[in-house]
Amino acid sequence: MTQNVRGGAPAGKRERPSFKTLGRAVGYLGHYRNITILAYAALLLSTSAQLMVPQMVQNILDAITHGLVAQQLAGAPADAQVAAAAKVGMSPEQFQQTLANPYTALYWALGLILMFAVIRGLFAFAQSYMSEKAGQGVAFDFRNELFAKIQRLSFSYHDRNRTGQLMVRATDDVEKVRLFIGQGLLMAVQALVLLTGALIMLLLTNVQLTLVVLPILPLAVVMFMGFGMITQPLFIKVQVKLSALNTVLQENLAGIKVIKAFATEPREQKRFDNSAEVLMRQQIQVQLIFSFLFPVIFLIANLGQAAVLYFGGQQIINSTLTIGEWQKFSLYLLLVFFPLGQLGFIITQMSQAAASANRVYEILDAPNEVTDKPGATPLPEIKGAVQFENVSFRYFGSSEPVLNGVSFAAHPGQTLAILGATGSGKSSVINLIPRFYDVTGGKVLVDGHDVRDVTLDSLRRQIGIVLQETNLFTGSIRDNIAFGRPDASDEEVVAAAKSAAAHDFIESFPDGYETPVGERGATLSGGQKQRIAIARALLLNPRILILDDSTSSVDVQTEVVIQQALDRLMAGRTSFVIAQRISTVLSADNIIVLDKGRVAAQGTHLELMESSEIYAEIYRSQLVEDPVAAAEEDAQAEPVR
Amino acid sequence: MMGGPRGMLEQETSKPRSTGQTVRRLAGYFKPYWLVLIGVLALMILNAWTQVLTPELTGQSVDCYLTPALTSQAASAANAALGDAAQPAGQPIQASAQLAAPAAAGRCWFGEVPAGSAPSDYIAGLGRLVLGLLAVFVIGAATGGLMFYMMGWAGQHVLRKLQTDVFDHLHELSLGYYGRHESGDLMSRITNDTSTIQQAIGFTLVQVLSGGLIVVWIAWTMLSINWVYGLLSLLVVPLMAIVTVWFSTRARREFRRTRKEIGNVNAELEESISGVREAQAFAREDANIQSFRQSNAANRDANVRAVAYTAALAPALEALGYVAIAIVAGVGGVLMLQGQTLGGTVVTLGLIITFIGFVQRFNQPIAQIAVMWANIQSAIAGAERIFDLLDEPLDIAERFDAKPMPSIQGHVVFRHVTAEYKKGEPVLKDIELEAQPGQTIAIVGPTGAGKTTMVNLLPRFYDVTGGSVEIDGIDVRNVTLASLRTQIGVVLQDTFLFSDTVMNNIRYGRPDADDEEVVAAAKLARADGFIAKLKDGYDTVLGERGAGLSQGQRQLLAIARAAIADPQLLILDEATSSVDTRTERQIQAALDQLLAGRTSFVIAHRLSTIRNADQVLVLVKGEIVERGTHEELLAREGFYYDLYMSQFKRQEQVLQVSSQASSVARPNGAGPLAAQPA
Repeated sequence: MTQNVRGGAPAGKRERPSFKTLGRAVGYLGHYRNITILAYAALLLSTSAQLMVPQMVQNILDAITHGLVAQQLAGAPADAQVAAAAKVGMSPEQFQQTLANPYTALYWALGLILMFAVIRGLFAFAQSYMSEKAGQGVAFDFRNELFAKIQRLSFSYHDRNRTGQLMVRATDDVEKVRLFIGQGLLMAVQALVLLTGALIMLLLTNVQLTLVVLPILPLAVVMFMGFGMITQPLFIKVQVKLSALNTVLQENLAGIKVIKAFATEPREQKRFDNSAEVLMRQQIQVQLIFSFLFPVIFLIANLGQAAVLYFGGQQIINSTLTIGEWQKFSLYLLLVFFPLGQLGFIITQMSQAAASANRVYEILDAPNEVTDKPGATPLPEIKGAVQFENVSFRYFGSSEPVLNGVSFAAHPGQTLAILGATGSGKSSVINLIPRFYDVTGGKVLVDGHDVRDVTLDSLRRQIGIVLQETNLFTGSIRDNIAFGRPDASDEEVVAAAKSAAAHDFIESFPDGYETPVGERGATLSGGQKQRIAIARALLLNPRILILDDSTSSVDVQTEVVIQQALDRLMAGRTSFVIAQRISTVLSADNIIVLDKGRVAAQGTHLELMESSEIYAEIYRSQLVEDPVAAAEEDAQAEPVR
Repeated sequence: MMGGPRGMLEQETSKPRSTGQTVRRLAGYFKPYWLVLIGVLALMILNAWTQVLTPELTGQSVDCYLTPALTSQAASAANAALGDAAQPAGQPIQASAQLAAPAAAGRCWFGEVPAGSAPSDYIAGLGRLVLGLLAVFVIGAATGGLMFYMMGWAGQHVLRKLQTDVFDHLHELSLGYYGRHESGDLMSRITNDTSTIQQAIGFTLVQVLSGGLIVVWIAWTMLSINWVYGLLSLLVVPLMAIVTVWFSTRARREFRRTRKEIGNVNAELEESISGVREAQAFAREDANIQSFRQSNAANRDANVRAVAYTAALAPALEALGYVAIAIVAGVGGVLMLQGQTLGGTVVTLGLIITFIGFVQRFNQPIAQIAVMWANIQSAIAGAERIFDLLDEPLDIAERFDAKPMPSIQGHVVFRHVTAEYKKGEPVLKDIELEAQPGQTIAIVGPTGAGKTTMVNLLPRFYDVTGGSVEIDGIDVRNVTLASLRTQIGVVLQDTFLFSDTVMNNIRYGRPDADDEEVVAAAKLARADGFIAKLKDGYDTVLGERGAGLSQGQRQLLAIARAAIADPQLLILDEATSSVDTRTERQIQAALDQLLAGRTSFVIAHRLSTIRNADQVLVLVKGEIVERGTHEELLAREGFYYDLYMSQFKRQEQVLQVSSQASSVARPNGAGPLAAQPA
């Protein structure tokens, strides 16, 4: 089989897949050892039964011819009978039996063929059902492992990998591996067993005739291999062209307003027309190969049959072969070509599955940067003291540090505002507290514990987070508010919603708290989602709170409501706020001004206004909110021609 | 060849409503290719003929050459034995009437060999037959390949026509249609439906038709050779059909369930991958893993149930095939041994072998037809949906005598305009408005008041239901759409960018603009600053939907796009979402420059825009409740005043505190109407 695989490997041209990972995947069948053993035992039985059928056909035909010859010779003298019988391949005993009851052999053969039909049917069902079942089990295991791994992989992994990519691996790639393990592998084994069995039967039936048809076999093998090599790249081309066409279509649907506004329909239609034309030509090219592939394969198989008819016929006429044997031979020949065709397909499937298995294991084998260290202890109930000690941090694979020697402290109950330009490291600071990333140098301490010494679960459960981009999950509104504490009582959920100014709009829905939230919260407005996110954080009643106080895409009234809710949320907790609002800054106990990953200044608003140029600059640019004045300033700064 | 039918069982299928009509219409698309289709039909018949011929010739080889040779040898061997025993009086043994040629008389197309000939004569006859058989094989392969190719060729052309028809039609549909339909839904419907149609009109249709033809032809041949024997041999055919239909219907039903389950699995997967940060932040990993395990298991179980049916189908058919062989051989054998005739003809060994060949050719077509039929049906249903789309009435159509819009000066009048999307639910009621060339009209009001609808009437994205919209005294319904729309610039809130270079995205506003003009427009829009910082500058290819750019940057590009078109009439939907202070200022400056000297309608969210406007319209529930300049409206202390104050109060608080805090602050006015935090 390995031989075959090497021969067929060029089929998977894009990447030369390593079959090691596919082997690892096949190893998962070990989880379903009994079913797998049953499947392959059934395979042996059903294939044997299949191999017996041509023999039975011979038996029937021989029974008929013998019977007829016996009847014919009934009146002849014994010597002549024996001589004639020998001519059609009957021993004298057989001849006597046949003469006595010509039907016995026929009925026996008929009974046996029916028996083998039943055996074949039952065990063929059993083999593919069991194998599929095991395959589904393996896919189940893979998906679970992938899911668990993806859930636990640190933020930095998710920064580097897109959702879509991970999705494809957990769905399409797992499917391809499953298809191979559930069907392909079984078919391959069956094909090999059948091929070997049929070849042996051919040789046993008639060596000479076998040698006549044998040269056709390599021809068929070459055909199948060549087919794989030719079609694989063609299919990829079709895919590329199809997706080009779909891109045009999608852009036109999504951007229909722009297209109509600029009246560019004729141009777009031409673009689409061209793409459709290119795709059609490619499709027709594939069609050409596919249309003739099967006819040519059948032609080769038929050449074998014609050869058998001619050379077998000669042997029959020369009495070295019976008609029954000849029929049997041509049936076995079918059983040789059939598995050859199967193997051709399986090899293609196998190299795809190997590539997929590689991609699946890329995730499963990905190292997780942030994990509980051995002997990590749960963090005791947090009081709320947070300290950064000379923290530096850089993102995976990046040479430039995002944070450099950052030190500050927050006492329980304080509000810390973090300010700075885009890219100054604001989000990195807040991401280090719940240990979404690990520091590259220095320490982050919560109540004096290094966050790396405590369990992730105990740390994160005690920190509330409200991010700017709100993800809600499928389920009811209640489920979403209780996301961090699924065991919360209804009263607690309602109380949290009230504090987050979400209760009223929730109650306005017909189903209230049981209103389902669509995929990614599609049925709620941006402001509503944000308030649910606030309620979600409130319900944890965390001692430490992290939030991004920018509000996006909401109308004025909603924004006021949301900001009031945020103010309530911060009261009495150690809060870290990426500050967008002046009021936040004014009421903060401590303001950290970040500049290129360093703390440029810290202190209260009044202190900083006195001492820090950068702060004054940031503060002013936020305060100068009248765009007319801003535009004038701009015009002075860089005159417009 | 293998796994084909099973793959088809897993596909989504649906039933058409009016098959006949849809098929006729689809057939209309084939009209230009009728010659090809006739060719396909001819090839199909030829191909089926080769299929019927093969078992026939195999049977003839037995009856005409093999058996006669054998019997004559057996006879001569026996005669020789008799001769050896020196019994001259003994009768020579005659070749059996049944085994030998007479039965096959008239059916030996390659010549009968007279009894008692030498073996070489029989071999020569056999050789002629095998040559004939080879010719049949070659014809079969050639016709088979050619018919699939020709049908595929025609099918691809039809598909392409269908695709471009749909695409062109999409452009003719009004924005109202797109308001009612999600673009993602439309997209998947079009791509899915065309791909089902593609499969069906190429490969599947040929397969089903030629399979059906072969089954009927073989059955007819068998019955006409010997109707009783034929009927007995055909016994299993209805059984095969029933088995296939039964298993495939059930398999399909189960697979429908699996699609639901795998949908759940995928949804959960997607949600937890995109929400992985939240999951970790709230320490929900274990709970999520547990819940995923459940839907994953449900999916596995549903699949195992479905697989039971597909796993049973092929073995059941195979077993039935063996039963058919047993019937043919058993009945034929008993008849031969008893020396009886059946239905008037003698059963020969060759006939048995021919019939075995025939029944073996039944299996595949029957399974294929049953399995593929549902797919053909669902392709018809797909075609029906495509035709529905093509038949979607155009609510915005050019008048037959529409003239091009002359160069626009910018005088716009709304006369008693009403508009409604649904009958009886007006979105705009009796809107009266006049804008002089060069004026800026700001429209404010709560969400759903009809602001967007109002501006959409100008480029005729929608039509009024009552009254009229006139530009320079010409009703917009009387001019051609292209001439009207190319003269109106539109800057939308959510800027759509094409996956093309920055240069070409800006150039979209005027395709014949040269690079210098594009750069100038970008400079006017204050976009050249960030463009210069992109990896490849103006040649940077923007990702899908302009990913990689911030909201503010995208709006700058939209402004540049409008600027390069240099329209006299401008429609602007200001972004509500927050952008950083610097970008905000740039957008403001760019807009001021863009608006200058053009008649513009602005859905306003910035106070500065409103202040600078020549007219401010306050739109509430489809009616203009207040109009005037910013100052006039403030003085009126009405709806606008409330709207303004709700924002102003907050601003004022901030300003008070900050002016106490520092003299750096310049409390010289309120912030934007919608929040624009830094």
